[in-house]
Amino acid sequence: MSKAAIDPVTLEVIWNRLLSVANEQQDALMRTAFSTIVRESQDLACGLFDTQGRMVAQSVSGTPGHINAMATSMGHFLREFPADTLTPGDVLITNDPWQTAGHVNDITITTPIFRRGQLVAFFANTCHAADIGGRILSAEAREVYEEGLRIPIMKLFHAGEPDPILLKVIRANVRLPHEVVSDFYAQSACNDAGGRALIETMDEFGLDSFDPVAEEIISRSEKAVRAAIAELEDGAWEGETWSDGFEEPIYIKTKLEVRGDEIFIDFAGSSPQSHRGINVVMNYTHAYASFAAKAAIYPDVPHNEGSFRPVHVTAPAGSILNANDPAPVAARQTVGHFVPTAVFTALAKALPGKLMAPSADPIWLSVWRGQDPAFNLTVFQVGGTGARPTKDGLSAVGFPSGVAGVPAEVIESLSPLVMRRRELRVDSGGAGTWRGGLGQFTEFANRAHGQWSVNGILDRTRYAAPGIMGGGPGLPGEFILDGGERPNPKAQTHLGGDRSVQLNHPGGGGYGDPMKRDPERVRADVVYGYITPETAARDYGVVVRFTGGDDEKVRLPQQWVIDQTATRELRGTAAS
Amino acid sequence: MYRVGVDIGGTFTDLLLVADDGTSFIGKTLTTHGDPSVAVETALREGLETGIVDRAQQGTVVHGTTLVTNALIERKGALTALLTTAGFRDALEIGREHRYELYDLDLEFPRPLVPRYLRFDVPERVAADGAVLEPLDEEYVRGLVAELRDKGVRAVAVCYLNSFRDPAHERRTREIIAEVAPDIRVSVSADVVPEIREFQRTSTTAANVYVQERVAAYLQELQQRLDGLGFSGSFFVMLSSGGIGTPETAARFPVRMLESGPAAGALAAAALGNRAGYPDLLSFDMGGTTAKLCAVENGYPLKAREFEVDRVYRFRKGSGLPIKIPVIDMIEIGAGGGSIARVDALGLLKVGPDSAGAEPGPACYGRGGTGATVTDANLILGYFDPDYFLGGEMKLDVEAARNALGELASRLGMRVEEVAWGIHQIVNENMANAARAHLGERGKDPRELPMYAFGGAGPVHGCHVAELLRLPTLISPMGAGVGSTFGLLAAPLAFDFVRSAYSLLDELDWSFVNGMFDDMCAEGRGILEQSGLAPDEIVYERTADMRYTGQGHEVSVPIPDGVLDASHLEAINGAFERTYEQMYGRTVPDVVVEVINWRVVARGPEQSLDFSTRDTEAGGGKAQKGTRPVYSAGRGKFVETAVYDRYALTPGMTFPGPAIVEERESTLVVTARSRARVDDYLNVVVEFDYEKG
Repeated sequence: MSKAAIDPVTLEVIWNRLLSVANEQQDALMRTAFSTIVRESQDLACGLFDTQGRMVAQSVSGTPGHINAMATSMGHFLREFPADTLTPGDVLITNDPWQTAGHVNDITITTPIFRRGQLVAFFANTCHAADIGGRILSAEAREVYEEGLRIPIMKLFHAGEPDPILLKVIRANVRLPHEVVSDFYAQSACNDAGGRALIETMDEFGLDSFDPVAEEIISRSEKAVRAAIAELEDGAWEGETWSDGFEEPIYIKTKLEVRGDEIFIDFAGSSPQSHRGINVVMNYTHAYASFAAKAAIYPDVPHNEGSFRPVHVTAPAGSILNANDPAPVAARQTVGHFVPTAVFTALAKALPGKLMAPSADPIWLSVWRGQDPAFNLTVFQVGGTGARPTKDGLSAVGFPSGVAGVPAEVIESLSPLVMRRRELRVDSGGAGTWRGGLGQFTEFANRAHGQWSVNGILDRTRYAAPGIMGGGPGLPGEFILDGGERPNPKAQTHLGGDRSVQLNHPGGGGYGDPMKRDPERVRADVVYGYITPETAARDYGVVVRFTGGDDEKVRLPQQWVIDQTATRELRGTAAS
Repeated sequence: MYRVGVDIGGTFTDLLLVADDGTSFIGKTLTTHGDPSVAVETALREGLETGIVDRAQQGTVVHGTTLVTNALIERKGALTALLTTAGFRDALEIGREHRYELYDLDLEFPRPLVPRYLRFDVPERVAADGAVLEPLDEEYVRGLVAELRDKGVRAVAVCYLNSFRDPAHERRTREIIAEVAPDIRVSVSADVVPEIREFQRTSTTAANVYVQERVAAYLQELQQRLDGLGFSGSFFVMLSSGGIGTPETAARFPVRMLESGPAAGALAAAALGNRAGYPDLLSFDMGGTTAKLCAVENGYPLKAREFEVDRVYRFRKGSGLPIKIPVIDMIEIGAGGGSIARVDALGLLKVGPDSAGAEPGPACYGRGGTGATVTDANLILGYFDPDYFLGGEMKLDVEAARNALGELASRLGMRVEEVAWGIHQIVNENMANAARAHLGERGKDPRELPMYAFGGAGPVHGCHVAELLRLPTLISPMGAGVGSTFGLLAAPLAFDFVRSAYSLLDELDWSFVNGMFDDMCAEGRGILEQSGLAPDEIVYERTADMRYTGQGHEVSVPIPDGVLDASHLEAINGAFERTYEQMYGRTVPDVVVEVINWRVVARGPEQSLDFSTRDTEAGGGKAQKGTRPVYSAGRGKFVETAVYDRYALTPGMTFPGPAIVEERESTLVVTARSRARVDDYLNVVVEFDYEKG
């Protein structure tokens, strides 16, 4: 490019092309992946980096934890293998939790891209492996060594040749060697294809180096983020949230400071690291904290090196959000997914009337295993999201993670499990001017009569999603056996024969005073069965009566009326 | 026998009538929204009165309509209840549990078609292998249905878990409803879409019965109007899959008519492209708000198995109601003549997906629009003659366009012309990127596919988009607006069937598979024979959805004809590997293959395209009207460019780009590094030369 600066149209065209490349690579990876967690829940990310390892573009979907953690991994790769030691055909790999996405199940593969013998960029992707040995995904380990094979930053390919020793070691250590290694190849191929598309783009636009484009995107993103932050008032705010933890509750304390055009988020004062696998590495904490800042303040600015710069995230070493090697970390999402809510509780004070109430937060992951017939199935489920300042929360929708659920019919086709129920959990959304989203009632049984077990990584069974601005909390989750026992929701529970298990998901918190909710909305919630008439009266001060007969199964909206007098009494003079 | 295609669009109802001898008539009348059949009658009467056909003759009418799409989007269906397996009445609302946009805290999902107070838990349970875990509580159903009837419910969807494996409970429920409330319309999921995944199946079944009453009444009304005109012959309806079916079938499965208008457009592209010698191509239909792209293989558009209607979030996948039907595999993006340009948070120029639509429309329409749109940019670039837009029916206001773009120009520090070229370029990039991804996912190399460009804006952008994708050729048909009605007449009579039956490939129960294929073929034969086809005219195309064990996405694999047994295993496995390799570039050795669904398309013979349209009055007058300044991106300035009159072009003519070819419905912009020729069908065929530049 002859011109010194790149004009905004050309830049947009190139930028769009790069995003499109990252998305295409992600889609291809998703369609060919073996790991169910990748293909059903989109637990993966792809990204493009400049020659200094600075992230420039990322795929749009995926999960925030991966996307942003991958960005920080590149520095580690380049420290181990400086750019000038790399040759065309080299491919780097690692799953070190402290250097990438926080647990050994996530494999990051990075490929340097060369054009005319010159290093021009890196493509990387992070993917959840079909298996990584050790314990199958569980919170129960006491050290990272139990959680599976750790691959330090290494060359998977040396100038196009796979490393036979590394592959041999991996094959010997995982349960599904073929699928795992096939996915490595797919991940490498995906980077290559990205590289080819980048080179074509450079050829088309006559770019000798990709770095000036990267620099332009990064600096414009940084500028846009700084401008958005500068709009906020300076000040420091605190927030907090609680997780069930493994044996004891985990406290997350946030101090958020806005100073000029920068934000400082510090988690000092949070619980120390746990003895069990719910610890979070700094990469992952940073990923979710910066996700929260973006969603709240600058959703339109792409995530890259530039937009990370004005946001500083810290947590004391040895704390739950910055655990030291070799702490166990396999179930890091169960605490990590609280980070956005922890940030929002502080940020809500800087952005009054802008942010949502806390959600069910961590996804619920359960691994079901049994014999005769043998099965091993991982299920993701979600509760409700927090109410928004101008609308209700979403029912049975994950936040902050972007996972998708698994249909009951798919679960039943892959195992002898029978889902007995999967429905919205009435009264689970926090009361408010805007109601929290509802969680779900779900129940599992087993048609086979042998021994079986469930290994849950479930949270918010002790600490409900709180409401904000006067809103009420959502209902906490429940992990209950048919006899009424409530075992540890993060440990393996052995079940015999014809037991059944309920996983009832938490609801989101409410927003604003429920007594100020439009009575017609309260009536509608009763009509739709989102709340019971008792809750309508107790929490909202609205008395809704059914005018039909007790035995009517079909209860139409026009059969429900608001008892105005009784409502006025409950709501006081404020009600009209 | 004469043939008629009628397509009801948002504004116009178009008609194409073709007589035995190949003479034809094109009709256009305003759509009558209250009762759309009125416009159909008006257009048809006009056609019949031209005298080009003998009314006593048997005719064939093929009809396409957006009625179903609109009824769903506007929620104008019947009061509908849903009966589900106890514990699963919320499948419709819980959906995929997935946030389709990660960073937008305000996102919403479309409202379910059946509200929660009309969704009911029915005691019954069938397991994944078909075993009955709990019998159907018939008394409960009986009581519930009586109450639904008494309270004015007009339609009931029934979707029980695992019914694709054993539909007995659903069928029994339908019988009970027929006894208790014969006037209530019923759709059971095993009939509508016998496939695994309860959310998508429930959503499709509910949509089907929700619009059934409306569609049935409409089709009946239309049939009466045809009878009133003295029409004797067959009346067919265009389906989403590109096939056509009887009104009876359409009334039973109205969701299969979704998107039949765009489907007809893609069919026209496929048929006309094929006639011009291009059986494989990329169909590119760009209008005022969206662009639709579709890959055509061997003269047929590729098909998909799922579609989303009522996307509430900028065409984003996951933000609509899923409908599982065989549908022409089209990607739709928010890029059209009305797409609005803006400057984003990074100070970069963005175009769409927001659109100025038809009202107020682009600034240059002079109807009060102030946003800078793609059409405004095209006008400034010299692509349009402000006095010959829509053949001169509408004067364009160049000053208004300059003003609209001027604001962006000052924010970006660029000249108005540069911004105009930027808008044009960016909207092209958006479409090219979408096309690249769409083709890539289907294992197609764009560099081998010619583009068939139509729609009001298609020929304006086609060449530039084709060059971005490095396509070899572009075909621009005459009369960009005729597309859909032409497609209606190009479609063979066809119907799609599917059965779900999961099995590992090497553990298949062949007699079960043969039984399924026989059932589906018999069903297809029944419908097609009823439509007047002879048994030997019917072709059956059999496929299976297969994947490697452990994967989540299937590929469609052709299955050989005849009775199958273990000796076919190798051939089927080979076909799977070839398909997989074409799509993903590699196969996976040593992994077992599994089969999820079995499919049959029953299809009648190809339709003759041997007719000319009276609209295509070729010859006469000078081909080159003159010249005007058109922006040249390569040279960064306006260059005097030849302007051709489409109606004066005759077969065999050639001319070099850059050039502008004007006709009433659209303007073809021929790029510099190319050469255009006119073929025997009056298509302008542009060949690109990538060596020169």
